[in-house]
Amino acid sequence: MNSTSTPRDVLAIDVRGLVRTFGDRRAVDGLDLALARGASLGLLGPNGAGKTTTIRILSTLARATSGSVRVLGLDPERDALELRARIGVVPQELALYDELSARENLEFFARAHRVDARRVKERVDWALELAQLAERARDRVTTFSGGMKRRLNLVVALLHEPELVFLDEPTVGIDPQSRNHVFEMVERLVHDGTTLVYTTHQLGEVERLCERIVVLDRGRKIAEGTLAELQHLPGLARSHALRVTSEADAHAAQAFLAQRGVETRLVEELPGLESVFLELTGHALRDDDA
Amino acid sequence: MLHLAWTFALKDLRLYARDRSALALSLLLPLFLAAIFGAAMGGFGGKDTIGKVRLLVEDLDQTPRSRELVKLLGESANLSVDEKQDARKAIANGKAPAAIVVPAGYGADLEAGRGLRLKLYRDPGQAVEQQIVAGSLMPVLFEAGGAKLSREVVKRGLAELGLALDAIPGFDGTFDQTWKLMEELARQEKEKEAAYPALTAPAETKSESVDFLARLPRFLGLDVEDVAGGENQDDKLAGQAHAVSGIGVMMLLFGLVAAGGTILEERTQGTLTRLLLVPAPGSAVLLGKFLFTFVSGMLQLVLLFVFGSFVFDVPVWRDPLAVLVVSTALCAAATGLGLFLAVTCGSRKQLEGLSTLIILVMSAMGGSWFPLVITPEWYRKLGHFTLNAWAMDAYQGIFWYGKGLEGIWVEVLVLAAIAATMAALAVRGWNKRFATNA
Repeated sequence: MNSTSTPRDVLAIDVRGLVRTFGDRRAVDGLDLALARGASLGLLGPNGAGKTTTIRILSTLARATSGSVRVLGLDPERDALELRARIGVVPQELALYDELSARENLEFFARAHRVDARRVKERVDWALELAQLAERARDRVTTFSGGMKRRLNLVVALLHEPELVFLDEPTVGIDPQSRNHVFEMVERLVHDGTTLVYTTHQLGEVERLCERIVVLDRGRKIAEGTLAELQHLPGLARSHALRVTSEADAHAAQAFLAQRGVETRLVEELPGLESVFLELTGHALRDDDA
Repeated sequence: MLHLAWTFALKDLRLYARDRSALALSLLLPLFLAAIFGAAMGGFGGKDTIGKVRLLVEDLDQTPRSRELVKLLGESANLSVDEKQDARKAIANGKAPAAIVVPAGYGADLEAGRGLRLKLYRDPGQAVEQQIVAGSLMPVLFEAGGAKLSREVVKRGLAELGLALDAIPGFDGTFDQTWKLMEELARQEKEKEAAYPALTAPAETKSESVDFLARLPRFLGLDVEDVAGGENQDDKLAGQAHAVSGIGVMMLLFGLVAAGGTILEERTQGTLTRLLLVPAPGSAVLLGKFLFTFVSGMLQLVLLFVFGSFVFDVPVWRDPLAVLVVSTALCAAATGLGLFLAVTCGSRKQLEGLSTLIILVMSAMGGSWFPLVITPEWYRKLGHFTLNAWAMDAYQGIFWYGKGLEGIWVEVLVLAAIAATMAALAVRGWNKRFATNA
């Protein structure tokens, strides 16, 4: 979806000329950003690119120095309280109370987000189910593995059924099984029509989860589009692959192409380490060890 | 091995040097506390050995003789004399440890050789001050009464101690000889020599020298009345009530600063960000912290006073409403201070260092460790810049002087004002550091 062709009233995020300075440093420098409702956006960039500052401004945690910002049609500065009721933020750190149980954490945050008292239990049960933590609901969070905490950290932000969710590196430091489960949770959100903004250093995650990608560097947007659009940016080196399933077919194809003057290079595709790991250890979540 | 150990030690020293809180606590705090204790007990510069004791004087005679007495009292090295009407009430309310009332006819009695008819009102809770007053009164009264009166006073005193006149060689000698003998008696009694059994210490914890000085005003012929302490005038109660409330106030401050510090803890663990993202003004988070800190402080005080009531007979139940009102005002003030420090400090570690320093200094200055009445006047005035001093005044007013709300409203108002000021500063600090758009 192209930002310039989308009417403003259907945009979940509409940012124009956003600037945020810290002293002389411009953390965000004239950023334009648009995201349609129900879409998912991957925000990429090296450290210090301005990703976190941008998310803090969009989620009402910080003020913009200048520029226009609308989130779900609201001004994050003027309409902060209304906007907070409609967005969810999954912080990078595990923002949980270790000495409370999973259920107690969820109940507290549900009430803090003013979920209707009659619906708190229903929403907490839903969140525990989504995070596959129902069996450990009464255990204190301090006894959880990193993966369990990550899943709980995510569902806390979903208790009040937000229309727009910001996820800031939600898979840091967890095993592949838990990461896969987080992906599935996020995919379910996208499927249900929740708008998503996802920041990470893991490019593969954005490739899997986000339909649009924005690349930031030094506070500026340096590229934007779908993965396919980014892959076709001018000046990028490209190669083409012909996939066959057996080694004999590969040699036959190479010989055939050589007869027509096409130079080829035969490369054996090996499974990645994560695939090997998952093949060896299985895809099921491993919470029993925690 | 040693080289490696030295490398480790150097690393720790470097970290220690960069931790300003730890540096302040370990190096500066002892100096601060030593200075405070030194100033409280002896003043600076080694010249003032102890603060002057305030003695109220009510001169109902207003004759040259009575004015001469007031003048002599004023010249006493250890007394700070203030003339005041209704001295008895002032002592009963803890305004001073002792008061002398010079009755009408004092001058005429003296002229006629009828002896002294002075009234001494005392606060038995201020035992150390009573010794100083007694010790200071003796030479003044001797001087005011002349040699004849002095001799009578000594006779009466020795008789009260159970000593026959013939046991004292040269009783009819000069006043100097008699005075020297009194000094000798006191010295010998202090050493508990069996030669003077009447002066041997009773089986109590008080030393005999204290007892002797406590009885001295009666030897001098003064009409003594203990007017503070309510129904129970055991001076141990004053000390116990002071200890319970003093330690209570100090520990309350530690507890509440720690509770306020959960703001910084939440910031470190990330939950503060989550709280700031709920659809409510950021001040709701601060208010929540205030309520939590306040309630935990009230629980702490309730527990402490119930303990004090059962173990030390501190009269907590004499006026529970007054105790509740003071405790509420104190808790609010301490909570405000705790939150202010929490939103001012950059980290939990910094908070712990700074608050320990502030609380210990405030406790020493404000009378949590020792009664301010034993300190010089300038120290007492300085001490009242702390909330400890006002809380201690209020609690002592209730527990020892038997005051009700009407007697401690000033202290309660000051504590409430401190609470309001600290809360306002905490809100300002919060808005500056944590508040975002709401």
